[in-house]
Amino acid sequence: MKIIDTIMRHLKKLPALVKHHPSWTFILFGVLVSLIAFLPHIGIMRFGTMSTVYAYIIILTTVALGLNLLLGFSGLISLGTAGFVGAGALGTAVFLNMGFPLEIAVLAVLFISGLIGAVIGLFSLKVESIYLAIATLFVGEIMRQIYTNVPIFGGQELNLGDDSRNFVTFFGVWELSFFDQMHRSILFVIITAAMVLSMIIIHHIIKSRTGRALMAMSRSQHAAQAMGVSLIKYRVMAFVIATLFATFGGVLYGIYYQSVPTEQWNLDLSLFLIAMIVVGGLKSIYGTVLGVFIIHGVPNLWLKNWFGDVSYVFSGVLIIAVIIFYPRGFIHIGHDLRRAYAGLRTRMRKKVKHHGEN
Amino acid sequence: MADFLRLVFNGFTSGSAYALAALGIVLIWRTSRTTNFAQGLIGTLNAYVAAWFILSQGWSIWLASLAALVTAFATGIIIDTIIIRPAAKVSPISKQIITLGIIMVIIGIIPWFFGTSRYQMPRFIPLSQSIDVAGATLHLNTILTLVVTLGIMAVMFWFIQFTRWGLATRVTASDETTSKLMGVPTKTITMVSWATAAILGTLAAIIVAPRTEVHVMMLITVQVSAFFAGTLGGFTTFFGPVVGAFIIAFGRNFAMFYISDIWGNVLLYMSILVFLYFRPYGIFGKKPSKKV
Repeated sequence: MKIIDTIMRHLKKLPALVKHHPSWTFILFGVLVSLIAFLPHIGIMRFGTMSTVYAYIIILTTVALGLNLLLGFSGLISLGTAGFVGAGALGTAVFLNMGFPLEIAVLAVLFISGLIGAVIGLFSLKVESIYLAIATLFVGEIMRQIYTNVPIFGGQELNLGDDSRNFVTFFGVWELSFFDQMHRSILFVIITAAMVLSMIIIHHIIKSRTGRALMAMSRSQHAAQAMGVSLIKYRVMAFVIATLFATFGGVLYGIYYQSVPTEQWNLDLSLFLIAMIVVGGLKSIYGTVLGVFIIHGVPNLWLKNWFGDVSYVFSGVLIIAVIIFYPRGFIHIGHDLRRAYAGLRTRMRKKVKHHGEN
Repeated sequence: MADFLRLVFNGFTSGSAYALAALGIVLIWRTSRTTNFAQGLIGTLNAYVAAWFILSQGWSIWLASLAALVTAFATGIIIDTIIIRPAAKVSPISKQIITLGIIMVIIGIIPWFFGTSRYQMPRFIPLSQSIDVAGATLHLNTILTLVVTLGIMAVMFWFIQFTRWGLATRVTASDETTSKLMGVPTKTITMVSWATAAILGTLAAIIVAPRTEVHVMMLITVQVSAFFAGTLGGFTTFFGPVVGAFIIAFGRNFAMFYISDIWGNVLLYMSILVFLYFRPYGIFGKKPSKKV
């Protein structure tokens, strides 16, 4: 009992620590995640697992963070996210193949996507609820049609680098290729750093004036307007931020995998991204990470090995069960566990007392 | 002229499929307040049932389709009872994601029951039977599809507008809590709505299936177009989406034939988006009144 109490006392300090130094905890989290990059080199993990599962989790987390701001804080839904992830990945590849340096390519892609996001934001002032959701689906479908049909995107897939091998060049000198195992680990650390940066940015947006304005808007638009929150400014801002994060996630996809398919940026991916946020926890940064891990990590790491073809059934049941039992997100399981522990402790103390009296 | 008629006839079939799927989506949106992303796959699952009866048991397509409609009814009721009803209290966004969960379960179940092979479904009336209209062939199957679709819709509209149960559906759609207080069996209404939507989805699947093959992804385009049809026609009416479905079907055929097969779809979607900017609630939709 004493040991458990001591552990619990230290664990109780954790929320306070997270609350007071959020940026440092994000960085600590990032350092822990980037340790994954070394596991394949000492033979604990396969290189394939690192790239197909963990790297993808990091990329999706970046995308989902922006979407969480849109969905959780401003209550607006977007079914076109996948289109923007594709824009980030394919756009970077197109600009690189045109001969631009990486940094310029990334900035150009982010700028173009941000503009489209602003247009959707303006559009959202007129259209609402399910109509807005499907309007964003229109945008996503338009982008998908363009990716698969227009020859500049290469038909099936688009490769970064030259004809002989895929690579990206940082700052014009530092060349990293996905095919080199050492380079792949370095790329993993780079995208982890980008994810941590996104987490810190999102955290600061949430804690700023913008975050409070978005929160007010999600509760009641009219009340927020009455308090002087500019609907047009913050709606456009929410859409631009979500779009930029989605595009940035796509850029990370391009930088890491260095070979971008044109087919997969469809409604399925957009729905999965929303599922990750809902399952993990709206308005929560770690909830987003948890949601991405549950929806992409758990099936690919374990369910596929255990159940084979029918693993899809279990993923579906997992989503349904989490939503029915944790409607506010799986991140709130911590609260429930703590309450269960407290209940158990009081019951055990009572028992001890009872025995003592006898 | 022949080309034009050919496109129109082609639009009849795809328009019917979009309209049936859209009607199912609107029905569920009105009674359960959720966007049913699983509409297409529920239909696909039951199209598999029909294909299995035809190809493994040697049933005729009419009998097999009837069997598929029965299983569709059952699917709808099962989904409502074990998944949607326990989740009645979750937020609207979470409810939509639950339908994504249903999609994954169905994608997992299909190879389990039916294997991974693709089934080829026959048409109700073989393509050899057709009539000639000003140089374009009009298959009897197209006429049948259109008549069946319009017939089902006529029955549905009559049911919703002029019967007791239709009234119950309409009041549930407009305000569930109040209807419950007034003694409307909203649970039954929601359950029957899911069952009806499943039947409509299955009909759409059976119409589309002979054009390609029965496979998991076969209704993706139909489903997305059905969403677009709902938005274009307006989710607040039951006939708006039907009109929207045929507009999208014809518009897509014309744009892809006369303008460009790469940009046709894009142009169609763009023009619908511009239209939505000026009429945010679709052609027939009304702005819902909201209390502050």
